[in-house]
Amino acid sequence: MTMVETSTVARAGHEPAREGSGWSAAAVLLAALGLVAAIAAVHVTQGTSTVNAPDLLRLLVGRGDDETEAVFVASRLPRMLAGLVVGFALGVAGTLLQSMTRNSLAAPDTLGVNDGAYLAVVASAVFIGGLSPLQSAGIAMLGGLLAAGLAMAVSAGGASGTTRLILAGSATAMAMLALTNTLLLMKPEETLGLYAWGRGTLAQTGLERIAYLGPIVAVGLVLAMFMARRLDLLALGDDGAAVLGVHVRLTRATAVVLAVLLAAAAVTVAGPLAFVGLCAPAIVRLLSRRVGGLGAHVWLLPVSGAVACVVVLASDLVVRAFLTGPYGSEMPTGVVTAIFGAPFLIWLAARHRGSSPARSSPSSRKGALLGRLGFAVILTIAGLVTLASMAVGMLLGDTTLLFGDLTNWLTGQSGPAITFLLDSRLPRVLLGVLAGIALAVAGTTVQAVCRNPLAEPGIIGVTAGASVGAVGLLVVVPSAGVGMMAGVAGLGAFLAFAAVYGLAWRGGLDSDRLVLVGVGMGFLGASITAVLVLEDTILSAQAMTWLSGSTYARGLTDAIPVAVALVLLLPVLAFATRELDLLSLDDDTPRVLGVPLERVRLVALAGAAALTATAVAAVGVIAFVGLVAPHAARALVGGRHVRVLPLAALLGASLVCLADTIGRTIIAPDQLPAGLMTALIGAPYFVWLLWRTRV
Amino acid sequence: MRTTRAATAALIGLVALTACGSSEDDSEGSESGSGGPVTVTDSRGEEIQLDAPADQVVALEWSEAEDLVALGVMPAGVAQVEDFKTWVNTVSLDDSVTDVGLRSEPSIDAIAGLQPDLIITEADRSRSQIDDLEEIAPVLVTEGSDHRDNIGQMQTNLEMIATAVGEEDTADQLMADLDATIAEGREAIEAAGMADATFAAAHGWSEGGSVAIRMFGEGSLLSDLAEELGLSNAWTGKVDEWGLTTTDVEAMTQLGDTYFLYIAPEDNVFAEALPDNPIWQGLPFVENGKVHELDGGTWAFGGPKSSQQVVDEIVGAVTS
Repeated sequence: MTMVETSTVARAGHEPAREGSGWSAAAVLLAALGLVAAIAAVHVTQGTSTVNAPDLLRLLVGRGDDETEAVFVASRLPRMLAGLVVGFALGVAGTLLQSMTRNSLAAPDTLGVNDGAYLAVVASAVFIGGLSPLQSAGIAMLGGLLAAGLAMAVSAGGASGTTRLILAGSATAMAMLALTNTLLLMKPEETLGLYAWGRGTLAQTGLERIAYLGPIVAVGLVLAMFMARRLDLLALGDDGAAVLGVHVRLTRATAVVLAVLLAAAAVTVAGPLAFVGLCAPAIVRLLSRRVGGLGAHVWLLPVSGAVACVVVLASDLVVRAFLTGPYGSEMPTGVVTAIFGAPFLIWLAARHRGSSPARSSPSSRKGALLGRLGFAVILTIAGLVTLASMAVGMLLGDTTLLFGDLTNWLTGQSGPAITFLLDSRLPRVLLGVLAGIALAVAGTTVQAVCRNPLAEPGIIGVTAGASVGAVGLLVVVPSAGVGMMAGVAGLGAFLAFAAVYGLAWRGGLDSDRLVLVGVGMGFLGASITAVLVLEDTILSAQAMTWLSGSTYARGLTDAIPVAVALVLLLPVLAFATRELDLLSLDDDTPRVLGVPLERVRLVALAGAAALTATAVAAVGVIAFVGLVAPHAARALVGGRHVRVLPLAALLGASLVCLADTIGRTIIAPDQLPAGLMTALIGAPYFVWLLWRTRV
Repeated sequence: MRTTRAATAALIGLVALTACGSSEDDSEGSESGSGGPVTVTDSRGEEIQLDAPADQVVALEWSEAEDLVALGVMPAGVAQVEDFKTWVNTVSLDDSVTDVGLRSEPSIDAIAGLQPDLIITEADRSRSQIDDLEEIAPVLVTEGSDHRDNIGQMQTNLEMIATAVGEEDTADQLMADLDATIAEGREAIEAAGMADATFAAAHGWSEGGSVAIRMFGEGSLLSDLAEELGLSNAWTGKVDEWGLTTTDVEAMTQLGDTYFLYIAPEDNVFAEALPDNPIWQGLPFVENGKVHELDGGTWAFGGPKSSQQVVDEIVGAVTS
């Protein structure tokens, strides 16, 4: 009986809950604040000096010594306050974003706000340097606004469905992160310390930042509270709210700017602390199904803030109590919030009911009427472009060679110096081509099966699984060869893929759910990889480059696993192009035509995972190729896979090959990893694609 | 048009080839007089055989580049030349030295272009990278750090390099100079009544809202040198294989009253951020004025020349 009652309240939870008296919500707020106080009290006893709880108690009653006081004021208190400031900021920012987009997956992370702010901070450290906390916050705010604006714009403010919003946000985040990593790699001196900070840490030296940013966050909180009533009304829907006298656009814009301001302030204090802004409001909304009145923003906002504080401070407690690095160095707090928060995202995504209008079959009207001859011409041109990219890849680099050198080399007439240069470039070019083909084919397959032109192995978490495997192997066996690496990366990819597939399966595969769970898995994999990299300082530079996708110092043997995977799987996929065509239409057509739907889907996805894993083992993480190549191919020759597959493969090959060539040429003798280049090229393309197809 | 361009390209290629051939002949002709064939066993246990002592050498780590210059052989190529100049000032590189890119990912093209007769790198580089380098020239692999005996490791590295370039006598002289500097330093410290003093050494930078401090613990070269001087390290926490660990200001309270030495050629947090910090202000070594900045170009992971500078700087700080 009570069950029935609570579930009625639960339904009402998302509505402005006037029926709750507010007393129970107030009790929840008090309990949350009490928990914050308790954790904070334990939190200040942790630190790298010998100052302990009894010392602090003596200080409290006025009998402490100077050292205890200094440690408390300049180290323990700032760190605890940083937790509070960041917690409230992220909790409230997450709540605002989720309310504005009416989307439980929206958060500073999934909308790219954190990464935008982080990029802005890193860029200002590189190009300007020596900024005050307030200036940093301002710049972080600009970066965050830019990222959020982009993500919101291409997804029509979230109105066009969960999947588009989250994809737009995570693509924006990936692009921002690629830029940030480029800066970190190119300017290691100016950005020393920003890599670890980039994972989010509460460490503070003194109260300076808190003193500036604490008040900003407090003002943001108060402003949000003033908006509570209008936010409640907006939850009724835009029309309903407008009827009740709410200026919908103004309210929306104000709330989003406020959220970004809060998130940017949090980034300035502690770096991007992952997923706090996602899971704190989610926990509170779950609670609100049981507690009357908690669904109203006047309670929702402060309780989310308090719960976020609990998450942040508790994570920090765990980090310092249990996760000291092997050499006594501290782990960033954000690592724990990410590993705790990413499963939360996966869980929320797995419950997602697919009803999004965003889903569209990845076919393209343009080019659909292309004749046989037209296709042959386009394919030939693409083939020539690929060959040209390979030639350019052989000729450019730190030393520029000429075409004559290449012909001499091919005919065995070149001298030792040039023979050596070309011999050493050959594996890089070949690996780029093979990895490009593998990624493009995998992308085409995944897009067909997911029936979503925005899906790719990287986005559905397969790549992240492969990198966890590969980096994990590097930590355990630093001298592991490429065969072993391909094997373990493959295992990681398959586990990640199996988990995504299994979690997204709820009496049938919903492609939106698959993508959302995959995004969550991608974040989880990235967090685990970050822990592995940070645990091993010696490895980290090597792993950083590898994670950015590099063909550096690769030999011909490194190409074997990808080549084998391609030889085995390309024929299978070539025979299945008709099934892929049918699969990309809808669930019913293939069934009617007697195609074993689930079996084809599983085989196709497993093949894509294998291709991705071998490519990752060979050249590391190369993003966006699996997304851009199939899309461009469809735009050129229409949606039939017998045409899309070969063209996408050639385009992927050219893209990776050119990206690698540019990366090792533009700042020679230093070099940029190929994966950063593909991200820098691919991310804008992706955003443009989202923009063009917006509803 | 296209044919002419291809022909020109081919021609230029050919000219380049002839140029290559002749320069190879030159180097063998002019330098082989300075010594006969040399054989040296590197840290991998590989025997490296050269027809003559190497003179066209590429050094991919700074300590080895420093050793070369100290031995009187100007390297042909060094990784991150500009950064070398910031961090290492005991020796200076000629303008003729070519930058071959990042220490972690040196440019194979640039190294090959120098036509070296020896490449020196450190053991923690990847297998595939060393394989690639060996295609260009013999590779001498040194061991970067040995936390049990850094001074011994430094000497081993120096001697390997000296053998390869035919400068064994200079190497002996460099080590003798270092020993003499250490002996003088120890006497000076004893004379100043500081024989039992402790020290702590650090490098620091800002990290978002906080200051990160990297301590030179036991097992670092700097610490080994200071211990040779009769001092003992006040930092006893965990360290990595280079003898280093990263921590925060609060941990400085564990050091007690000691001589605090720091190196900060860039982002000098010890002079800028920390003086305002109450913990820092209350530390006994800060109150007693025992904080000393070492010369910014003191490379604490270098060869005998840098080590001499480290010793001089430490002695100067402790006896001032």
